Amino acid sequence: MRNLFAFIYRFRAFLIFVMLEALCIFLIVRYNTYQGAAVFNSANTYVGQVLEFQSGVTNYFRLASINTTLAQENAVLRKELMDYRLGEQMDSTARLDTTLYVPSDSARAYPFILHAGRVINNSVRRTNNYLTLAIGSQDGVKPGMGVISPDGAVGRVKTVSKRYSTVTSLLHSQLLISAKIKKDNTFGTIKWTGGDYRTALLDYIPLHVKPEQGDTVVTSGYNTVFPEGIMVGTISAVEKEADRSFYTIRVKLSVDFAQLSYVYVVESTRRPEQDSLELEAGIQPNE
Amino acid sequence: MNSSLGIRHIVQFVLFVALQILLMDSLVLFSTGFCFIYIAFLLFLPINMNRVLLLFLGFVAGFSVDIFYDTMGIHAAASVLLAYLRPFILNLLTPRDGYDTNDSVNIHVMGWRWFLAYAMTLILVHHAAVFILEIFSLSGLWSTVPKILLSVLFTGVVMVILQLLFFSLKRANR
Repeated sequence: MRNLFAFIYRFRAFLIFVMLEALCIFLIVRYNTYQGAAVFNSANTYVGQVLEFQSGVTNYFRLASINTTLAQENAVLRKELMDYRLGEQMDSTARLDTTLYVPSDSARAYPFILHAGRVINNSVRRTNNYLTLAIGSQDGVKPGMGVISPDGAVGRVKTVSKRYSTVTSLLHSQLLISAKIKKDNTFGTIKWTGGDYRTALLDYIPLHVKPEQGDTVVTSGYNTVFPEGIMVGTISAVEKEADRSFYTIRVKLSVDFAQLSYVYVVESTRRPEQDSLELEAGIQPNE
Repeated sequence: MNSSLGIRHIVQFVLFVALQILLMDSLVLFSTGFCFIYIAFLLFLPINMNRVLLLFLGFVAGFSVDIFYDTMGIHAAASVLLAYLRPFILNLLTPRDGYDTNDSVNIHVMGWRWFLAYAMTLILVHHAAVFILEIFSLSGLWSTVPKILLSVLFTGVVMVILQLLFFSLKRANR
C-alpha cells in the first residue's frame, strides 16, 4: 500500500496531467454536440459584461457603417409600407365589408416575431465561429431560434442566459441550413466548410435541375428555424463531379459576417406545435 | 526574484488574458496567422516552479480564454499540454552549470538562443494542439499546417517584443 502511494506521489504530475486532459476532452466533446448547453461560454453574465464593454468601445469606430445599414433598411421598409398603402388605396375590396374573406392558410398569418439584438462578440476566421448577442431569455430568446440580419440568414441560437445569448454562426462546421434555389424551388443544404467567410457550399442539389451562376438561394422554410424566403446568397460557381450524384455549388453569402452590428432573433409562434407534431410522426428534427 | 508565485504573476495573468480577449481576438494576419499571447503568462512563470501548480495554472489560463472564445476545452487542453511539457523543455535546455537561483525566463538574462529555442518549441506544441483540436479530425490537416506555422511566428515575434519592452535587465537583477 505504501508503495502504491509512493508510486502515485512520484507520478503525480503525470497523473494530474492526464486527468486535466481528460476533463478538457470531455468538455470539447460535450460542447460540440449541437444543442449541448454549457454554463461556461460567452453568454455567461460576467463574460457578457466584458464583451459588451469591449463592443461599446469598438462600436464607436463603426458608427458610420452601422448608421448606413440601418438607414438602408429603413428605406426598404418605408418603400414596402408605401406599396401597401398604395395597394390599399387602389383596392376597393376593403370597403366591401359584406364580402366573406376566408384565409387560405392559417400558418401564414403571423407566425414569426423578431427580436432585435446588438452583436457584442463576433468571429469569422476560426473553424467554428460564434456570435454573442446582448439580448437573452428576458427578451424572449430561446435556444434553437434562427438569427437573421437585414441582408440574410446569420445562424442559430445555441445557449441563452438572462441578458446574453450565444449564436452558432452560419460559419460553423456543424451548422446546416435548409435552403432552396429561388428560381425552381429545388431544396438543398447550406453548409460552410471553412476558409473564406464569404462563400459556403450548397449541397444535395440533384443533377436534373439546371442551377446557373447568379441564381438566388433562400431559406426553404421547411423547419421552423427560419421563415421561408430569407436570402442566403447567390450562386457563384456550379461544378459537376464525376462520382457524385449531386452538384457541388458554391454560394456567395449575402451577409458580410465581418460587418454584423445588429441582428434579429426569429421567434416562431407555431414552432412547438410543428416540432411536436413532426416528432410524433417519427421525423427526426434536422438542422 | 523569488521563485514563488507573486502578485507580479497574477497581474501578468490578468494582463495577458485581457490582451488576448480584447485586442488579439480581432488581430488576425491574412486570415491564417493567429496570436495566442496569453500563453506568455505560462512561459514567463519562474523556472523552478511546482509542476502540479503549473498544470493547474495552465488549465485556468486556457479555460478563461475558452470561455470568451466559445471553444470549450480546446485552449485548456493545449495549455495543460504546454504546462506539462515546460519542465522537460527547461531540463533539455539547461545551461552547462545548471540554472542559477537568479535565472528567470528573460531574454536579457538567458540570451537570445536559449529564449528562442524555449519559447518557439512550446509555442509550436501549443498552437499545433489548438488547431488540430479545432478541426477535430485529421482530414484537413494539410490546410492547418500553414496556419500553425504563421501563428507560431506571429506569437513568437509578439512575445519577443514584449520581452524587449517590459523585461529589462535591470528589473531582472533586482
